[in-house]
This record gives sequence, C-alpha cells and structure tokens, in this order.
Amino acid sequence: MTKQGRLGTFVVVFAAVYSAMYYFAVDRNWALFSYGPALGEWKMFAHAASAGPTMYWYGWIATSAIVGGVAGLLACLLPQGWRDRVWPGFAWLVPVCAIGAIGYLLSGYFTR
Amino acid sequence: MWIALVITHGLLAFLLLGAITHQVVSVWAPVRARAANFVARYRAVGSANYANAVIVLFVANALLGAVLYTNYRISARLTLEQGRYWKSFGAFEIKEHLIAIGLALLPAYWYFWRPAALENTRTRTALTSLLAFIVWWAFLTGHIVNNIRGIGT
Repeated sequence: MTKQGRLGTFVVVFAAVYSAMYYFAVDRNWALFSYGPALGEWKMFAHAASAGPTMYWYGWIATSAIVGGVAGLLACLLPQGWRDRVWPGFAWLVPVCAIGAIGYLLSGYFTR
Repeated sequence: MWIALVITHGLLAFLLLGAITHQVVSVWAPVRARAANFVARYRAVGSANYANAVIVLFVANALLGAVLYTNYRISARLTLEQGRYWKSFGAFEIKEHLIAIGLALLPAYWYFWRPAALENTRTRTALTSLLAFIVWWAFLTGHIVNNIRGIGT
C-alpha cells in the first residue's frame, strides 16, 4: 500500500465528494444561490427569478465545491494509516459514476 | 461583445482540445523509440509539459462559458426548445454538467501529473482520458448548438 500524503488525500477526496455532491445538487436542486439572467438578479439558495428563466448551475457548483473542500480538509486530518486506505482511483471512478447518473437523469432528451 | 466572447471561447477551446488530445494520445500510446514520422512525433510529446496549460485553459474556458451561459439561457436555449431540438438540447445540458465535474478533477489531475506522483500511471491515465472526453464533448456540443442558433445572431 502506498503512503498517501495530505495533499494527495485532499485531491482524491475533493474530486470524489464534489462529483457525488454535484449529482445530488442537480437531482434535488441544492443550489447555494440562484441567478436570473433576464434581470441580473442573484438570490440565496434555490429561488425562482422574478422574471425570465432561473439558473442554478453556478449554485450547484458552489454547493459541491464547498462540500468537497470541507470533506477533503477533514480527510487530511485523518491518521496516516487511514489516509493510506484512500484509493487514488476514487478521483476518477466517482466522477465517472456521477456522469453516468446525470446522463440517466437527462436520458429523456434522447428518447423523445 | 457576445460575439467577441464566443469567438474567444471557441479559440481557447481549440487550444485546449489540442493540448489534451496530444496528452491523451501520448499516455495511451507512448513512443519508446525515436519518433520517425508525424504520427510518432505526435505521440512522442512530453505529456507532463501540457498539464499546467490544460488546467489554465480549462479554467479560462469554464469562466468564459459561464459568462456566455447567461446569454445562451435567455436566447439560444429558447430556440432549441421551440424548434424541439431535444437531442442537441440534452447534449448541451450534459455539457454543462461535464464542465462542472471537470472542474472537480483538476486538482487531482494536477497532483497526479507532478513528477513526484508519476508512479500512479493508471490514475493519471484515467484522469487525463476523462478530462479529454469532457473537453471533446464540450467542444463538439458547443459547436453543434452554435450552428443551430449562434449567440449574438
């Protein structure tokens, strides 16, 4: 088993947790903030704009980045033995699963 | 201004596509002997040299795309919906999610391309390939949607 440094642990956990969180943020609309481009209107959390469409994408990224960042920092605090068990492959495997799940969520556009 | 931004976005995306494709070819089919022809020289690039450029170009493209996205949301997207271009519409929706997930990969991508982490070949290859898939999807989808209804037209 390879020795996992704190930075290595952070980047792997960040990629994995951010990606998983992003799927849930999209699926359940957990946006940290919302934007109405018609009026240039920003609102905290997921709230519809007063006119025109509402964009949650920026808010989903913010939610996921914060949760991923906090999880990565917490993982850095783990003892060396636990950090060594963080498989580097989680950095790509969890994002691949999140992409597959999001593709499934949007599959309706391709079967109409 | 929107047209200038979308052209800049396209040019940066083209640079990013070139950099990540060079890198992904060189990790999947590295040249062991001296490169003799064009294809071999394409595969023989020093892949690690591309990592920082890929990161800077990816972030710059994502930021430009995020700005352009506001205009897309109130103009081009309506055309796609009204014209019932559902496959193109869905492909562009997937693009926005791929870019968001691509941003999550960048710290790990940077880390596993450092000389100190070069023994993690499989992780590095997987991250580079996934990033290349994201960049290719984003480039092609953006191009197709812009052909249907260009921003600023």
